[in-house]
Order: sequence, then structure tokens, then C-alpha cells
Amino acid sequence: MAVSDISYRPRFLAGGNVYLPHLAVIEKTVDETHDTKTLHFNFKDEKLRRDFVFESGQFCLLSVLGVGEAPFCVSSSPTRRDHLECTIRQVGRLTRALHRFGEGAEIGFRGPYGNCFPLDFLQGKNLVFVGGGIGLAPLRSLIWNVIDNRDRYGKIDIIYGARSPADLCFSYDLEAWDKDETVNIVTTVDKGDDGWTGRVGLVPMVLEEVAPSPKNSVAIVCGPPIMIRFTFPVLEKLGFTPEQMLTTLEKRMKCGIGKCGRCNIGNIYVCRDGPVFSYAQIKGFISSEY
Amino acid sequence: MIPATEKVKINKKDVAKLLGEWSGEFTVLVPSRDEGVVKWARWDGEDASFLDWYRNTIVPPKAIFLPPMEEMFGFQKDKASYRIELPVSSERKQLIFGIRPCDAKALAILDMNFSDAYEDPYYLAKRKRGVLIGLGCANPYDSCFCTSLDSSPNDATNVDVMLTDIGDEFLVEVITNQGRELVAKTSLVQVAAETDEVRAEEAKEAAYGRVARKIDTGSIKEKLLSCFEDKDYWEEVAAKCISCGICTFLCPTCYCFDISDELVKNQGERFRSWDSCAFPLYTKMPMENPRQQKWRRLRQKVCHKYGFYPINFEVIACTGCGRCIRLCPVNWDITQILGNLPTKEQLTPEKC
Amino acid sequence: MNHKEMEKKLRREARALLEQGKVGYIIGFEAGSLKFTTTPLITSDTGDISRLVVNPFIANNLSVYLAGVKGRVGIVVKGCDSRSIVSLLQDNKIAREDIVILGVPCSGLIDLGKVEELVGKERDELDDIARDGDRVVVTDNGNNSEFPIHEVLYDNCLGCEFPTPQEYDILLGEPTLPAGDRYQAVSLMKIKQLKDMPAQQRWEFWRNEFDRCIRCYACRNICPACFCQRCFVEESEPQWLLPVPRWQDNLMFQVIRNIHVAGRCTDCGGCERACPVNIPLRSLTREMYGIIAELFHYKPGMDKDTAPFLAAYEATDTEDFVR
Repeated sequence: MAVSDISYRPRFLAGGNVYLPHLAVIEKTVDETHDTKTLHFNFKDEKLRRDFVFESGQFCLLSVLGVGEAPFCVSSSPTRRDHLECTIRQVGRLTRALHRFGEGAEIGFRGPYGNCFPLDFLQGKNLVFVGGGIGLAPLRSLIWNVIDNRDRYGKIDIIYGARSPADLCFSYDLEAWDKDETVNIVTTVDKGDDGWTGRVGLVPMVLEEVAPSPKNSVAIVCGPPIMIRFTFPVLEKLGFTPEQMLTTLEKRMKCGIGKCGRCNIGNIYVCRDGPVFSYAQIKGFISSEY
Repeated sequence: MIPATEKVKINKKDVAKLLGEWSGEFTVLVPSRDEGVVKWARWDGEDASFLDWYRNTIVPPKAIFLPPMEEMFGFQKDKASYRIELPVSSERKQLIFGIRPCDAKALAILDMNFSDAYEDPYYLAKRKRGVLIGLGCANPYDSCFCTSLDSSPNDATNVDVMLTDIGDEFLVEVITNQGRELVAKTSLVQVAAETDEVRAEEAKEAAYGRVARKIDTGSIKEKLLSCFEDKDYWEEVAAKCISCGICTFLCPTCYCFDISDELVKNQGERFRSWDSCAFPLYTKMPMENPRQQKWRRLRQKVCHKYGFYPINFEVIACTGCGRCIRLCPVNWDITQILGNLPTKEQLTPEKC
Repeated sequence: MNHKEMEKKLRREARALLEQGKVGYIIGFEAGSLKFTTTPLITSDTGDISRLVVNPFIANNLSVYLAGVKGRVGIVVKGCDSRSIVSLLQDNKIAREDIVILGVPCSGLIDLGKVEELVGKERDELDDIARDGDRVVVTDNGNNSEFPIHEVLYDNCLGCEFPTPQEYDILLGEPTLPAGDRYQAVSLMKIKQLKDMPAQQRWEFWRNEFDRCIRCYACRNICPACFCQRCFVEESEPQWLLPVPRWQDNLMFQVIRNIHVAGRCTDCGGCERACPVNIPLRSLTREMYGIIAELFHYKPGMDKDTAPFLAAYEATDTEDFVR
């Protein structure tokens, strides 16, 4: 198999050079948890603001010029285009710098890169979203995308969990989806606190209890690798086939366009051929290093 | 004007003059010695005495097109605002004189990665303004194994002009139109006699025979991937490796790079620099590292070159230049590994 | 010094160690895949023992493989390497009972680079290189050339004070006496030339050398004293150096590395040997070794019960630099 043709994906190159970032201005920051923030930003360039398109599941490379650059999924939905959102967890030098930025600060943006959630495949199906921690970020883009085109899809089930109530991201979205009658959402935590009256239990376990039907369904899973590894077997037990399970993978990335070599799993590059993969594809990977 | 079918030759004593002629239009790069280290550098404008001792460089010509460090762009910071500036890139053409067939083939292999999907502007711009004058090997190293990788000491496929040593002279074969233009401009070449062509053929055959190191690359992809999951095997293979970057940095087909930023006061740059899959930091993520263990990193290197790249681009990402064997501080030898792969039941490699 | 006899004894002892279950692995040298080279052999298979060699090309410091070994290991070391092991013992990186030290009394290793320059040919073009007492005989196309050892041994071998392993379990031959002052001047010639240079010229020299550095980290990775899981160059908070091979970053890398291994470097020469672009790293490491000997009267790797150099303070230490 030679490399697949990805020339159909829309590109927004600054100055014709794929490595040049576009400058974007932060309009708002939202504290999700003690170490996670969502940045709302918009391109400085008017034309780009109008022309820019992306799909749910794609990622971008955000930089603080002078500090570094790293991949983040776009957590806002393509159906809500007045600004873009990326959700960032503070883990090192670059993310600390991003967290220090407030309204008016400028960041670099390269993207959108990667493949996306296959909306054609999902259309007409019941969707089961399984998210853990900050893994809800890429799912969130798809969830709002789907809700904004509600009549194209079947049932929507969301099972979302975090380590503790303080680690739940997008609490405002969780509320909105709870209020939405066309959506079933179950929120759980590994360990509750004094104020928590909701479900307690690990996400894979709660998934098994909720037991969504695999009939005409697709499960979209995202979270820490260990959660994904325990969720797939549960879905299989419930009757989902590997083709009915989707996820997005994470890797250390630098170029984001399949050139620098580091994000590969066997012969595929997560930045170029992913980050969205089905479990069927993952099972077929040459390497289990994901 | 030399007719297309004519082969020409040049006296070795005239090479310096020829380089002088070409220096008008090109920056001429030749093999040169710096503290005993043979590498590509600007011709000093004097002589071609490198022809006396040159076998191959330590730093491959990939360093010309994908330099060890390169400024991607600069930027100015003004409070919370930035202004991005592209570095001024040279338009001047470069002539690389004396590139060996293994290194020229390696550039063709690198082209595939840098033009796939997104075009890499930095590498491709340099390739576009580069001209390759190949020089066939007369004296291969004991570490060379190009003949096992669809190439030979005199393979002319990837150069613009190919020179073959026939004693006091070089036989000059024009390969591309650009090469033809170059050779047509000079009066230092003479028409080659049939005896010259015969001598060249003999020299090529002799050089081919001198490449003693051989590996069997038939089904190497399948053999490698079938033992991919054999942890014990790879641990044994990786035992003496010290995870430095010598084999990958000095390999003409390795291209992995790192991107890093620097900001000093209000002036900054984004650099690209050589990186290696042998380094643990290469795949490190905040919470985990899929290749923390040395055997995984070594497995990645071998399988990328002889397995994954062939799956994606239908060519083995190795040209048998032998630098990795010659320069490895512990004499880890990829030909020994590839010649002794364990046999297991076959798995099909076309997985994705 | 009879290499063949030492080799026979080594193979006997190594086989016995494995067969009697006294060690799980043997780390030694076997013939390399290129002429006049050797390569580390790390094996648990008695069938591999006959591949072990002792010859003038067993240059690598095998103690680099010890930090991270599981179980008991038999390891072949020369004088300088055994001091690296003692240094690792001082640092608590390995336990003495986990290693069986097979000591080779060393009479110096042949520097192929020096041979190539003297003969005017490259390694693979020569027929034979053999040590014969005080001389090395190089055979090229049937012709023999002889060179006195002080022209072809490594600089650090010429100045070696402890050629016989100080710490060992089994000594594979008669102890070698150090050459004393005989070749000290030659051994330190490059360093003396540097010290004689005015500061500006020396700066230019190193700037030129470090321009060639490609940051392959072979010098660091081959060094037994560099055993940090995460090297300072891999830190991003703070970012000490850029991973970019600019001469400034390259020079600082080497300076800081020297300070980190100070008092643990035993002048085995591994760093300079490993460098693919011929940077004279030993000129830095040996100078540091000399400074520590002079200021602190300390030689690395001599006594496994002494505290590590950078982790100890003596009342008699020089403190005239403290103001």
C-alpha cells in the first residue's frame, strides 16, 4: 500500500509555507479544571477568519513563539464558527506558557491537520460517546456538530467520567447536554467528594452498566490510553464490532504533516493518517506502540 | 555542442579548471577535510587534490539539503504581539561535485518523504537549485553494501552527470538535460574513444566486484515484520547499542527532525534540527513514552528503513553506504542483523 | 604480554562462570565486523564463549552496560574500565556482589587513526596490524612497517597510571607495570599545546572544533559516568540548551558534561574515540582529571569505599577560591 492521497483536505498555508504559523488572538479563557483551560481565539487575518474550515476530529499545532509548538485537537465544533477553541492541559513548558496567556495574547496556529470523524459513516446511526477526562475535548467538537445537525443522526448516548468531580471538563456543556431531551448523558467520577451526588465508577464499568445497544450504532471513544484499552473490550462484549468503534490517538508531534517521522505507528503517521482510527484499523497496526 | 549519443571524457588535471568555470554560476561543493573529518564544503577555488584521497564523506550530502540546523523563520515580539519574518533564502545554484551513487540515491529516497502530501519548502527549494555531479567509486569500503540495495558503485540513476575513473581521465556521461547543458558549456571535455568506454566498463565491473559485504533483501520486509513482536529477539539485538545518534545522523536516508524555538529579548527564531528515533526523548509524551525501552527504539529504526518505508514508498530506505557500520562506536552492524533474522510464520505486512 | 594466553584463560573462566550459574551474562569483546575492530559481546549462551577475544583493539569501556543490568554479570575490563566500575560502586549504581570482574592487564590499545595517518592508508586497506613488544608492525600489501608504540597507541594509554585493574575477581594475566613518565609528555602533548595558546586563540580553537559537533551524544552515551535517566539537555523547564547544534550550545553541552562527570571520569578515552567528527574531547576530560588530582589529591575509581568526589568534603580541601 502506498501512502494515501490526502490532497482533498483543505489547506491554509501562511505564505505558501506549511511550517509558518498563522497568528491568532485569544479572546477568552475558560478554566475547566485546576490544570485545564479552554482558549477561545480567532485569526488576526480577516480573510482567514472567513475562509477557514475544519472538521471535527482534526487537530492543530499551537505555538507560543519563542517557547515551542504542540498538537491540540480543535475542541469547538465546525458548526459554530465565530471563533475556535482548543482545550489545554498544563503539563510542561509550552502549556504553562499558554495558560499564562489571557485575552489579547497572540498565539501561533498551524492546521487543520489530520483526518476527521467520518460523518458520512456516522449519519443515520446511533452514537455512543465514551469520554474520560480531557479526552472529552475532541468528542465535544463532534457532539456539538451532531447536535447542530440533529435530524441526521439517531440516538445520542454520552458516557463521560473523570478522576474526581473537580476534574470534570466542560461542566457547562455537560449541563446543556443534560437538559437536551434528545441526548442521554451519564456523568461519572472514579471517586466522589462531599458534594457529589452523581454516579461513581470507572468509565468502562459504567459503560457496561448503561449497556448501549450495538444495533446500528457507532461508539466514539476518547480518553487516557488506559481507559481506551479497557473500554474496547467492554464494547466488544456488548456486541460492537471493531468497525463500530472509533477513537483518536495521541502522539508527540512536531511537524504535524508526516515529515519529521516521530508520530508513526508502524508505517502510518498519526498526524497524517489519523488521529481518528477505528478499532479495526488499530488491531491491524504493525505495532502496538500507541 | 556535444551530440546526445557521444560520450566525452576529461583529464583529471583539468577538473580544477572545470570547477573554476562552473564557479561562475554555481556555488561549488566538494569533499574536503577538516581535522581529518571528510565532509562537504565550499570548494577553495584552488585545486582538485581531493580526488587523490576521497573515498566517501563522513557527513553525507543530505546535510546540504537538510542541514543539521536550519532557521525556519524569525519573529519579533512587541509586548503581546508578534511579527513573523521568513529568512532570506539564497537563490544561488549549488553544484555538488563528486557525490557517490549511494548518496545520490539517498537523496531520491528523501525526496519522497519531503514531497509527499505537504511539500517541505526548505528541502525542496534546495533540491531544485542543486546539481549533482556523480563520481563512481573505484575503492569501496569494507563496510559498503550498495550492490545489495538495487544500486552499484557506478549507478548513474540519480545524478545529472556521472564520472567514471579510467586512469588519468574521467569518462563523462550526461544523464539529465541539466547535466547536458553543463557539459556543453565547457571546452575542457574531449570526445571519448571506444577504448575509453571499454575501460570504463571494466572499471565499473571491477568496483562492483569489490563490494564484498552483501545482504539478501528478498522478502526482507516480510521477514522483519513477522518477527516484529519478538521482544526477546529485539532485546538481544539492541543489547550493545548505546542509543546515540551517529547511525541516524550520518545516514544519508534518515530525515527525522526536531523543531525548537528560541526567544532572546524580543528577537526569536524557530529552528529545525536533526533528531533521532534512537533518543528516548523522541517519542516522549507528558504521561507516557511508547518507546522508553531501547529495544523498541532499535526495532523502530530497523523496521522503518526495511519495512515501513518500503510499505509506503516501495523502496528500502537504505542505500548501503555503510556509514552506520563504519562509524558506530560499538560496531553494531545492520547487515549482521538483517542476515540473521529469526524465521517465524509469516504475517502480511499490508495492514493499513 | 601474551594476548592469546589471556584469551584462553578468559574463555575458560567465562565458560565456568556461566556453566556454574555464578553469572547470568558475560559482557566481553568479540571480533568486530570490520577489520581491526572489536565489538561488545553480551551473552548468556556458553556456545558464544569461544567468540571472546583479547587483543590490542578491545577499546570500549564495557562498564557502560552495567547500570541497568539485571542479575549477576561477568565483565571483561582493562585498567581504566575497572576504575569506572569502582566509580559506579561509589555512586551506588551497582552492587559489588552482582559483578564478577575479569581483569585484563592492559598494555595499551592501538589507535587506528594514528596508524592510518602514519601509513597513509585507511584501515580496510591494510593487511595486518600486530603488537610486538615495544613496536607495532603494520603489514600493507606484503610490506611491513614498524612503529614505536608511542606513535600508535592512544594518548590516554600512553599516560596510563593503572594499566592493571585495581578491582577484580579474576586477573587474566600477569600485572602490567605502568610506563611511568616515559610517555607522559607525548600523552599530554595536545593538552600542553592548548595550554600554551593565548586565551583568545584557544577560544577560537574550540569554537572551530565545536562547529563540527552534530550533537549525536555518542560521547555522553558511551561514558559509564553518564548514567542519568534524563540528561540535562533533555530538560525543558528550565531549558538549559537548545537541541540545535550551534557551536555555543555544543560547547556548553561539553563543558557542563565535564563538570557533571568530574571526579568520575577515569580517562578511558571512550568519548574521543566515539566522536564521529574528531573533536578532541579527551583534551577537556583529561584536563579536568588533572585539575581534580592537583586541587583535591583525588584520583577517580581507586577505592570503592570512598564517598564519590562531588559528594564529599574533607577538612583539608583547598578553599582559597572561597572568598
